[in-house]
Amino acid sequence: MGVVMIVLALLPLAISGSYYMHVLILAFVYVVVSSGFRTISISGQFNIAQGAFMGVGAYAAAIPAVWLHWSPWVTIPLGAVAATVVGSIIAYPFARLRTVYYAMGTLFLGYVIMNLITAGGKTTGMSTGLGGVQPLFSNRTHYYYLAFGLMVVSMACMYRFEFSRIGVRMKAVAQSHQVAASVGIGERRNRILAVAFGSFFTGLLGAFYCHYQGVASPSSYGLGATLLIIMYVLVGGLNSFWGPSVGVLILLVIPEFYFRDLKGDLPYVTAAILLIIAFTLPDGIVGLVNLVKNRIVKRLGRGGLPQQPEGEVRADAPGD
Amino acid sequence: MLLEIKGLTKRFGGLKAVGDFDIHVDEGEIVGLIGPNGAGKSTVFNLITGVLPVTSGTNMFRDRDITRSQPDQVAALGIGRTFQLNPLFPEFTVLQNVTSSFQLHPCSSLFDIFFGTPKYRRNERFIREKAHEILSLVGLSKEANDLARNLAHGHQKMLGVARALATKPTLLLLDEPLAGMNPSEIQYSLDAIRGMRDNGITVLIVEHNMQILSLCDRVVVISFGEKICEGLPSEVRANSEVISAYFGADYVC
Repeated sequence: MGVVMIVLALLPLAISGSYYMHVLILAFVYVVVSSGFRTISISGQFNIAQGAFMGVGAYAAAIPAVWLHWSPWVTIPLGAVAATVVGSIIAYPFARLRTVYYAMGTLFLGYVIMNLITAGGKTTGMSTGLGGVQPLFSNRTHYYYLAFGLMVVSMACMYRFEFSRIGVRMKAVAQSHQVAASVGIGERRNRILAVAFGSFFTGLLGAFYCHYQGVASPSSYGLGATLLIIMYVLVGGLNSFWGPSVGVLILLVIPEFYFRDLKGDLPYVTAAILLIIAFTLPDGIVGLVNLVKNRIVKRLGRGGLPQQPEGEVRADAPGD
Repeated sequence: MLLEIKGLTKRFGGLKAVGDFDIHVDEGEIVGLIGPNGAGKSTVFNLITGVLPVTSGTNMFRDRDITRSQPDQVAALGIGRTFQLNPLFPEFTVLQNVTSSFQLHPCSSLFDIFFGTPKYRRNERFIREKAHEILSLVGLSKEANDLARNLAHGHQKMLGVARALATKPTLLLLDEPLAGMNPSEIQYSLDAIRGMRDNGITVLIVEHNMQILSLCDRVVVISFGEKICEGLPSEVRANSEVISAYFGADYVC
């Protein structure tokens, strides 16, 4: 983990200003947003409106930035707060829905949110998007470091959330809301908390992204973004903390770095990867890595993975 | 009076599952709620704990009205319960099942948990110790690191009890603790329940296994959602209405 961090921190020296840097900024955004999706999912909620929450963050930042000329340093946090507020308000009635009904509900919800946004007339720029969102910096390297910093802080917060007693409550609610309630873990309260927490970082990076692009356009958010997010999460591994990050690495960073000449055919390759994973690796790439690690450890005669720390709930081995 | 249920009624559409049911539990008692299959015993539990909304009637716990309380609020007031089926978190280990059930005493605030304050870490240490104590009490120390879903049925039931104990209940509702257990497990469970009472926990047991009678101070018999008899175990055993409810009217001599 530390090595990855140092490499990412020093990388701009090598690829300064290039297209690769743009890819990595995009990757940082998607790592956080996909992990936000997964953070909500540990409480048993498959939130298909994730892309729309990202859009709420983006437009909540873009509108005051364009029309009121607010500073990006105000509008980006504002985007995060707006996504949290919208997320929490919506989470309250949606806490009555579970499993596939929750997914269906949020699917339509995301659609409604994006339609409301584009129906905003001149204020939101309608379907062409709201241009002229003032940039933060003139230098792409600065964007890189800001995105990197936002990612590190967001991931640290989500890690803490999941691997503390809060995450235990979420996982308890996901496994059995009745048993959870019988020991005092309220289902609704905790599910709202998960959505609020996950959508904060989703809105934060959504707001950052629109300032980086200079435009808040509906095509970058909503269902299209949700599909990307779900793809990254499933390929990387829904059940492990680093799953979404690995998914972004495999489906976004590596193709953009090494297979750009495939451009037109890339969707087919992606689809093939997705299908193979769906059929053979229900726990994604990270699940495969854990499996192999387990095998090797067993062969060395140590008998399975080392015991996890007592009392700490870790459904997976997050690795480092 | 610890728990006082008056006129409890539950209708599912046109079907009356529980009708005008009264029961009370005093501090330190072991009360049995028995009856044939489908009599409405578990429904009564679900109505007390707020899992199902009550149609009419009042539930009082320590002179507080809990009729409309949510399950987690009922738990916070000091009513612990077990479940007949799926009594645990299957993907947690046995130990995690117990530690995750410590949400009320001690309770860490979200702030403490997120920032890992000394108070939180102290609480977690305390919880880990207590969890081991509870596991040895119910005889699951050896299985502490097994996944809960891999446990044998009898052990799952005991883990359900362990989880309920972790909420530090004043009143413990046990839903068919003996169902599916073999004779030695039954003996162990009976001793364990008696031990809980000796530790100051009041117990209300739903059961249709009559072996539970030996344990109870008082027994309430329910059939088709209505109370048909109440009294000492010996009185209930001899009651002709109870015998007819269990075996059919022909068997009453």
